[in-house]
Amino acid sequence: MDLIHKLNKKLDKMFNGSVNAKEENGCVILTGSLNSWDDIVKAGYLAVNKKKYLGVINDIEYTKEPVPGMRLPDLEDKQYDNVKCDVAIIGAGIIGCAIARELARFDLDILLIDKEHDVGMHASSRNDGEIHPGVDLIKGQVKQKYNARGNALYDEISKEMDFKFYRPGQYLCFTKKYMKIICNIARLYWKVMKVPTRYLNKEKLQKRIEGISDDMECAVFFPTAGIVCPYEVTIAYAENACDNKVKLALDTAVTDMEVLDNRILSLNTNRGTIYPKLVINAAGVYADKIAQIANDRFYTIHARKGTNAIFDKKTVKKNRFIVSAFGMSAVKTAHSKGGGILTTADDNMLIGPDAKETFDREDFSTEDINIDQIIQKHKKTLPGLKKSDIIAYYSGIRAATYEEDFVITEGKNTKNIIHVAGIQSPGLTAAPAIAKDVSLTVKKMLSEIMEVKPNADFNPNRKAIPDLARMDEEERDRLIKQNPDYGVIVCRCEEISLGQIKQALSRSVPCDTLDGVKRRVRAGMGRCQGGFCGPLVLKTISKIKNIDYEYVAKKDSQSRILFGKTKKHDTAV
Amino acid sequence: MIQQFENTYDVTVIGGGPAGLAAAVSAWEVGAKTLLVEREEKLGGILKQCIHDGFGLLMFKQKLTGPEYAQYYIEMLKNTDVNITCSTFVTDINRQDDGIFHLILVTHHGIKHIYTKAIVLATGCRERSAKQIFIHGTRPAGILTAGTAQYYVNILGQMPVKKCVILGSGDIGLIMARRLTLEGAEVEGVYEAKKELGGLLRNYSQCLMDFNIPLHTQTTVTRVFGEKRVSAVEVCSVDENMSRINGSERIIECDSLILSVGLIPENELAEKMNITLDAETKGPAADQCYQTKKDGIFVCGNAFHVNDLVDYVSSGARIAGKCAAKYKKRERRLIPVIHDEKFAYCVPQLIDIDSDQKKADIYFRTKQKEEDKHVTVTSGDNILIAKKYIEMRPSELEHIQIDIDKIEYGNDKIHVKMGKVE
Repeated sequence: MDLIHKLNKKLDKMFNGSVNAKEENGCVILTGSLNSWDDIVKAGYLAVNKKKYLGVINDIEYTKEPVPGMRLPDLEDKQYDNVKCDVAIIGAGIIGCAIARELARFDLDILLIDKEHDVGMHASSRNDGEIHPGVDLIKGQVKQKYNARGNALYDEISKEMDFKFYRPGQYLCFTKKYMKIICNIARLYWKVMKVPTRYLNKEKLQKRIEGISDDMECAVFFPTAGIVCPYEVTIAYAENACDNKVKLALDTAVTDMEVLDNRILSLNTNRGTIYPKLVINAAGVYADKIAQIANDRFYTIHARKGTNAIFDKKTVKKNRFIVSAFGMSAVKTAHSKGGGILTTADDNMLIGPDAKETFDREDFSTEDINIDQIIQKHKKTLPGLKKSDIIAYYSGIRAATYEEDFVITEGKNTKNIIHVAGIQSPGLTAAPAIAKDVSLTVKKMLSEIMEVKPNADFNPNRKAIPDLARMDEEERDRLIKQNPDYGVIVCRCEEISLGQIKQALSRSVPCDTLDGVKRRVRAGMGRCQGGFCGPLVLKTISKIKNIDYEYVAKKDSQSRILFGKTKKHDTAV
Repeated sequence: MIQQFENTYDVTVIGGGPAGLAAAVSAWEVGAKTLLVEREEKLGGILKQCIHDGFGLLMFKQKLTGPEYAQYYIEMLKNTDVNITCSTFVTDINRQDDGIFHLILVTHHGIKHIYTKAIVLATGCRERSAKQIFIHGTRPAGILTAGTAQYYVNILGQMPVKKCVILGSGDIGLIMARRLTLEGAEVEGVYEAKKELGGLLRNYSQCLMDFNIPLHTQTTVTRVFGEKRVSAVEVCSVDENMSRINGSERIIECDSLILSVGLIPENELAEKMNITLDAETKGPAADQCYQTKKDGIFVCGNAFHVNDLVDYVSSGARIAGKCAAKYKKRERRLIPVIHDEKFAYCVPQLIDIDSDQKKADIYFRTKQKEEDKHVTVTSGDNILIAKKYIEMRPSELEHIQIDIDKIEYGNDKIHVKMGKVE
């Protein structure tokens, strides 16, 4: 019996003939219709056979409710019409930005495209910032390979691009003493995987992690685990890319392509038609859609939502750490570690994320039940966590494939595309290594049609906006004397000065929104959540960008804060 | 009024709102060399944006707007030699071995160090945010606190809403309901999860009833819709335990959600100095001189506990300023003030019986609406004062005065009790 026949039998049994599988161009294609999204996802997983097929194309229609499509920018202009470039990167998340920066080492015309108004607006801003040691990865996975290399690169790139990076290490705790045996067997495995570990007994664990539950009997410590602020890294990469002549096309959505003789000729966008020699598909949750319009679809992205919560700074513990407990299955699913507790790069405690399949790829909404679940779960590790200390929470979407691995490859049908897709956790960790590899692939591919020279002016260094509150007094005083705006505190919770906000508004990656400022200098990230500083930041944006108050927005032109002057309404009696 | 500063003071007042202004004036009156530190560009604190009237009825026997009320004190300051530094942010406070406080200030001239014998914390309060009350759904533009809305309308002259729902019936929420209506916006309704109004009765009548704005008690906002700008909210009835009543959901189309869901004293500096906060007031505990448990550190205004009238803030702050000016290190015999379950809180939480502040104003709030009740303050068997109240509401702060000399030290507690009028 052939594989497809077997699969169809299973699908028939499960879904009463509503789903059909066939093989085409080396992929399994699922068609039919179902009214449960979880069933559609289940069918997708059932069809996976990494040895025999390139991937699963899950075209089962969801009949219960309409599936929202890609949110498009409201802008229509000809800003990028007829722009020719050597490389067009679709998607300015951590992957697209890192690739852009590595490619800038070559003398190429590079256009980095994103449909959002800022870089890193999806998963790259909506994760916990862990640089993973590779606890749960398996030999042979693409993500395992890149995770190990990417993790090691963070020391270097954090220095080059001046972003915060810590290696506090990760603690995997066990609740039973007899689990010491499991620990030691597992440690042998990690040794083979070249993941360094240490065993910690209860006493040591309690010393390292203030407030840890008395139930935790021992732990395995992974010293290579690190922490960054994920949007800080994405913005750093994007700025360094733009400092090195990469062009950035924001508010620009690729909606179609002209493909002829297995080559992409042009990209249709809301801001004109772009003519690239080579396309990099780093489109996150929409990577399979981009693959489809490029005539090169061989995988499916299914959105998996996770929610994180952030605590008031006053709950932060003396030592930084990343901690989770083994086998706490309250909200654990097969494809998520089930999250943990960590100290963010900006000194808040963070818990999460959970994992939930969703049909809407841009569903960033939050639910009370998610917050309750993650807090209940992580309280077992740190009993001192209190819901009332939470100051913020957010959801992100993982761009998972059914194969649950990264897709990093040249096109299968289409010749001038590279897919960098299915990048979910540990994508942030892997990004620096992926970018280096992809840039070399680009060089190889472009060399067939043009000469690719190194960029003699490439400067790997980028200077961050000064973080005055963390400076020693002398340095801070010196900077204020140079620029008095550094001495005017605008955001009282995070101690952010006017000078820093003005800086955020005048870097190589454009920023003109409240959220943009918030992600660059943290004004509004603190306990009052921008209640006091929001209007002051709005005033500063208005002044520096020379735009009226009513045109200043939260995240893009459709999310303005104000409606114009008071008393301008029709007051006819 | 001197816009500069030296480096040693008797009293340093942190915060230039109504509490700080009054404290600085009174500290100077007693002869203290005084510094007033304000983080904003101008003095006045939140009063600057409160352009409605009703301030000063107790203090000046007239109805003033917020800026007018503040100006009274700013004028008083002009006749003193209190040093003032605006746009100045206190980043750290340490106490030296000799008991003197060392403050680190960030100004646009650079980092400054000052040394002071006593500190008055007058840092005010902040509004509870949407995240702190766990508003869920999407995260669009158009969710803002009433105070932020007030800043946009009254300071920037800009409209933050066209059609809004207000969650919470705190005073700023009620005042903004009227203010936005006057500016041509539509206020669909004010929603309050509790059974009782959160703000003053006079604000309910003048701001909602007079403008036909409905108040929906025991109803809360359960979800926000809209990705870029708020497009609607879901409201839902809740029972007495704040659990939602299924089936009572209603979707209201609007472009904004305004929150007036409580104020929290700002005490980051107090916490830096390891002053634990009272779980009931969310401010530091203090005695009748407004001195915290840490010698030399005083607290007043909304940083101490959230007041509902600025007049109370000013009169308390005057005592705090005066006592800070007279501060000398000595042993304090502190007697705790405790209260019945029926009170939400009572302040001060301590009485210093050796102090020459011989009168103590006890301020309190009830947990629920109470009718025909006696409030009695006792020390052992000794009744210090008893007063009859026809009505007490959680939103209205009440106060009675006790005489410290009537307290005998042997009794370890002062008890504030509530009983039925027989």
